[in-house]
Amino acid sequence: MFEILSWIIRYIFIILIYYFLFGIIRLIYLDIKSINRMNRRQYNRPYLKLINRKEMLDFDIQEFYDLGQITTIGRGKQNSIKLLDRYISSNHAKIVQDEGEYFLEDVGSINGTYLNNEKIADVVKLKNGDRIGIGQVEFLFVKEVADDEA
Amino acid sequence: MKLNKFFRIQNPIYILIFVNLLFFGLLFLYVKPLDTFILASGAGVIALMVISYLAIIKLQMGDEYIFLIISMLTSLGIIMLYRINPEYGVRQISLYALGIILYFLAYIIFRFIKGWDKYLYLYIIFNFISFITTIAVGSSIGGATNWIQIGGFSFQPAEIIKVSFVFFIAAYYKLRFSSDEVVTHSEGLDSYEDQIINSDVNKDLDYTEEEPIESIETEIGLIDTLNEKVKNVYVFLGLAYMHIFFLLLQRELGLSALFFIVFLSIFYIYEDDRKLLLYNLGLVLIIGIISYFTMSHVNVRLTTWINPWADISNKGYQITQSLFAIAEGGFFGTGLGLGSPTYIPEVHTDFIFSAICEEMGVFGGISVVLLYFLLIYRGFKIALTIKDIFKRIVALGITLIYGYQTFIIIGGVIKLIPLTGVTLPFISYGGTSLISAFISFGILQAISKKTIEEEEAVILE
Repeated sequence: MFEILSWIIRYIFIILIYYFLFGIIRLIYLDIKSINRMNRRQYNRPYLKLINRKEMLDFDIQEFYDLGQITTIGRGKQNSIKLLDRYISSNHAKIVQDEGEYFLEDVGSINGTYLNNEKIADVVKLKNGDRIGIGQVEFLFVKEVADDEA
Repeated sequence: MKLNKFFRIQNPIYILIFVNLLFFGLLFLYVKPLDTFILASGAGVIALMVISYLAIIKLQMGDEYIFLIISMLTSLGIIMLYRINPEYGVRQISLYALGIILYFLAYIIFRFIKGWDKYLYLYIIFNFISFITTIAVGSSIGGATNWIQIGGFSFQPAEIIKVSFVFFIAAYYKLRFSSDEVVTHSEGLDSYEDQIINSDVNKDLDYTEEEPIESIETEIGLIDTLNEKVKNVYVFLGLAYMHIFFLLLQRELGLSALFFIVFLSIFYIYEDDRKLLLYNLGLVLIIGIISYFTMSHVNVRLTTWINPWADISNKGYQITQSLFAIAEGGFFGTGLGLGSPTYIPEVHTDFIFSAICEEMGVFGGISVVLLYFLLIYRGFKIALTIKDIFKRIVALGITLIYGYQTFIIIGGVIKLIPLTGVTLPFISYGGTSLISAFISFGILQAISKKTIEEEEAVILE
């Protein structure tokens, strides 16, 4: 009786343990895939492009960030762009879309927000090619104007 | 499409539970007279795994795969040990519980005590004191003087030193590279000031250079003559070789080889001087040759590796029994409880891999190796994502230690390399080695969680 059970279970075990390995490899694969997806951006929407070299910064950052209706930037968890830079405040800045235009606003940061190397005091309209400086990070605002030209 | 659905696994933890249920059920039938304690301990093991796994997921404690893989390895070990001798199995389960507690404790302590990189001298002193006490009051079990007995409780200090050895290397490189940075920054400082005067003020330069200016003042205050001395690479080499020398003195061949390989790997990664690396390799070759002629047990290990069949009834007995056991198992094994792994001496510690191969087959053995592959892959992955050099070397060192340890012992029992006595991490019976493995991977788990410091932003001028 025991022998038969043991014979059966040894096959079940082999199947199960490879199934387990497969499961873990699959999870890791999905994990890596989602990271890659994060670095790819959607087209036809304005986005922020990182100007700094990614290797020079000691925190996680992506090359591209898509801009939505309201994009908040800061160190806090609730922000849409979360950057663990120590020169960035918990709630640092936000970019708001209004009728197809994008506006940059500082939301009470300590070190300020810079547009083309000038500290902004009020809400400013962004145009293609503007440089946004936040903490140690500098972004390029890219709004492809292909539609307007056509 | 249907096949795709079939392979869609919700979570590997279910498989882990199922494997444990199957094997503990089988063990219940195997051990005569029937003992319900086995079922209870099986349930305990499963409960421990599930609770810890849920805790890691729910509290977002970083990497979730490490613990799953460790659990699979440990449960295979517990099952095998139970089958070899129920007494070992019961002890291993209690050690497993203790190990999990220490795993989380290591996680908490490593995360919430800051400045691990500053205690370089503490690690060195701790290591040497432990070595000296081992030699002074240690007792020898199985040919190596490496046990300290306190009351009825005995442990191997060398297993704990593995962790602090990695900390020592990491703290050393942190010390050296952080002070190197200060020097280069201060050199670049003059040109930087010129830049400010000459060109219009660039905001970005302002930010990035702000921090080093502050740290120069504090760093110079801290650097004393001792630090300067230790920073010399030859002093570092001397200290590292002292560790290996002490281990050789204890006749711990496996561990001294392990320490050396781990040290050399990190040295290779962080040292630009390739010539120095070659000298090190040459030195070890000389040490190896000398020890072959002077130490009898090195000689025995090598001759039994080259030809164990010459002295099959005596010196080559262990390794040949191991080879017989692996051959006996075939692809799918004899089935749990149907082989005879107890013919191999020391099957519960060094030779547990042969027992697994015999009863669970070569496929089972390969799956164990693959589990270690994945574990080490995760370790490297974590090490690559960390920016801080101290944490990076600690993660790397821990991964390397367990990777090489697995290679040394599995290679040893299948006669790929000369056999040296180290344990198979997480599977072998052995209190200290299991616990130190749990502590090490607890630290790795702590490193894998990204530090999200919510303190306020640093104020710029």
